[in-house]
Amino acid sequence: MNPRVVWTVARTTFREFWRTPEALFWTYGFPLLMAIVLGFAFQPAPPAPLPVAVLAEAPEDLRTALTASSRLAVEVVAAAAADAALARGRVAMVVGGSLAEPSLRADPTRPEAETARLLVERALRDRRDGPGTVHARFVAEDRPGARYIDFLIPGLVGLNLLGAGMWSIGFTLVMMRSQQLLRRLLVTPIRRSEFLLGYLAGRFVLVVPESLAILAFGCLVQGVPFRGSLFAGALLVLAGGLAFAGLGLLVASRAKTMEGVAGLMNVCQLPMWLIGGSFFANERFEGWLRWCADVLPLTQFNRGLRDVMLEPGGVGAIAVPLLFLAGFATVCFAVALRIFRWN
Amino acid sequence: MSGSAAIELHGLRKVYQKRRSEVVAVDGLDLIVQRGEVFGLLGPNGAGKTTTVEICEGLTEPTAGDVAVLGRRWRTGEDQQIRARIGVCLQETKFLDKQTVRETLELFACCHPSGRSVDEAMALVSLREKANARQVALSGGQRQRLAVATALLGEPELLFLDEPTTGLDPQSRRQLHDVVRTFRGQGGTVLLTTHYMEEAAQLCDRIGIVDHGKLIALGSPPELIRSLGGDQVIEIDAAGIDAVVAAASALPGVQRADLAGERLALTVGSVHSVVPPLLELLAARGIAMRGLATRQATLEDVFVHLTGRHLREDKA
Ligand SMILES: Nc1ncnc2c1ncn2[C@@H]1O[C@H](COP(=O)(O)OP(=O)(O)OP(=O)(O)O)[C@@H](O)[C@H]1O
Ligand SMILES: [Mg+2]
Repeated sequence: MNPRVVWTVARTTFREFWRTPEALFWTYGFPLLMAIVLGFAFQPAPPAPLPVAVLAEAPEDLRTALTASSRLAVEVVAAAAADAALARGRVAMVVGGSLAEPSLRADPTRPEAETARLLVERALRDRRDGPGTVHARFVAEDRPGARYIDFLIPGLVGLNLLGAGMWSIGFTLVMMRSQQLLRRLLVTPIRRSEFLLGYLAGRFVLVVPESLAILAFGCLVQGVPFRGSLFAGALLVLAGGLAFAGLGLLVASRAKTMEGVAGLMNVCQLPMWLIGGSFFANERFEGWLRWCADVLPLTQFNRGLRDVMLEPGGVGAIAVPLLFLAGFATVCFAVALRIFRWN
Repeated sequence: MSGSAAIELHGLRKVYQKRRSEVVAVDGLDLIVQRGEVFGLLGPNGAGKTTTVEICEGLTEPTAGDVAVLGRRWRTGEDQQIRARIGVCLQETKFLDKQTVRETLELFACCHPSGRSVDEAMALVSLREKANARQVALSGGQRQRLAVATALLGEPELLFLDEPTTGLDPQSRRQLHDVVRTFRGQGGTVLLTTHYMEEAAQLCDRIGIVDHGKLIALGSPPELIRSLGGDQVIEIDAAGIDAVVAAASALPGVQRADLAGERLALTVGSVHSVVPPLLELLAARGIAMRGLATRQATLEDVFVHLTGRHLREDKA
């Protein structure tokens, strides 16, 4: 092995990297920035109380026993609303029965179910005079509509739309730009809107069937219910698809290199993966975090799809997410068309 | 509008700004390309040919100067009208890898409201038998021909060909020349760039020689060659030849002497009258010749005369 060869290859590689500022920023600058931002966001603080629901018909003493715990945020709900709250991840557990014979209901596949069980049992024990055992009955939630899988499947459809919008649109477009194909097209009388619309259609044609396949798997194999209007669901998938396609186009509208577009894609995707409510509920966030989560198109999409799947609603029930996604898509397309780089 | 020239450039300038330095790619170019002619921009690498052509195509914005294409100006709301009437073959374009020749042409055909059929375009550049070959399976020359075919699809009035024959074998090159001639025969105008003198001489009605962003000569190929004063060239290849340049150029019948490296090119009206005294001169100075050749003067000689350099390094 000739060290001079290795050295020269290393130097060349590094130089190329160093002279691609996008690559440099997204590889080194961005993670550093993330570390700083997240460091400030997650200052050491006592853990936030875990939300649990107590059935409205449960006796007063059971309720007070739980509210006494500083680690629990107790919400009193009617039986029907409790199911929904559990399904949507707004609460980690539903507590019913009596102080003597409490019944705890949660889906053990949910990450926070076990913590909730321990905290609730401790709260009940602390309330009793002197140390003693609690004979709480744990009910593993397995009714369709209240399980974690019922929560997860709509979230996965959302992620699929997000991923398709980002990955399928960005890369090829940037490649066509870097290989002069966009310029070549630009000198023909083709309209920019014609090209972009056709491109998006071609790239997106598989997205809707893919979403349907995920939904079919969930509903047919896993028994996830679809209680609302199918039409409303389809409309939502379409609006979500357009919103993420718009975002993908926006991200690819100026980037000149693969590194550039990949970095921007990460910036868009990371927050949505983290707080978009696909894997973990973002319904109990508070303050600025709640605000951030609410303005993510993925949050809106997931919320809408869960509404229409887990509850018997129609288009009216998901008007807010629908309008949000449509508006988001419009803004993205308008800006992308405005700033699009052909040359 | 029909009376106007196909392309009119006045005081064209293009400066590329890099962080600390500036590159002047086009430096005050004035040029008129008439309708119905094949105009060639000839010049070495980096002369500013592509920049000039892309300004005419509306792809690059000039730093200064006035550009009129088919009587219209870019960025004045008439871009689509210009685009509908021009055909463009860029110096490099990579079409999508997994599209066949036919599919690529179909894409470009649909960009034009009217024009040739895909089959016709394939036939023009002899790519019919490759109709179903994907881009990745094409040779460099075939890709080049495909690029030219895309430019012909819209039946343009004005065709821009940026080095259309670079990398083509002689047969494909001749074929492309035929395409250009036929196009011109039907009243079309062509602006092409090339490094090949022979090509420029055979194909172009007029030629502009560009160097360092400036137009240094303009005229028909015979005019340019005549500007040398004679149309024959005697080339002598010998070590130490530089010592006799002055004496050689003083010989009767020698119009000019151009030295490039160890090769002296004498432009003369008649070879017969110059060779004998020239051989005597070399013998008298004790210079041993490695080679002596006589030929017709070419555009290359014009370029060497104007710049003191060869157009292409490999000719030196
Ligand atoms: N985008 C750019 N940024 C900076 N400089 C550029 C850019 N494009 C071209 N140049 C410079 O402008 C000059 C003219 O380039 P141009 O491409 O017009 O040359 P050309 O005559 O077409 O050469 P070739 O025969 O090699 O194709 C060159 O010196 C080149 O380095
Ligand atoms: Mg060029």
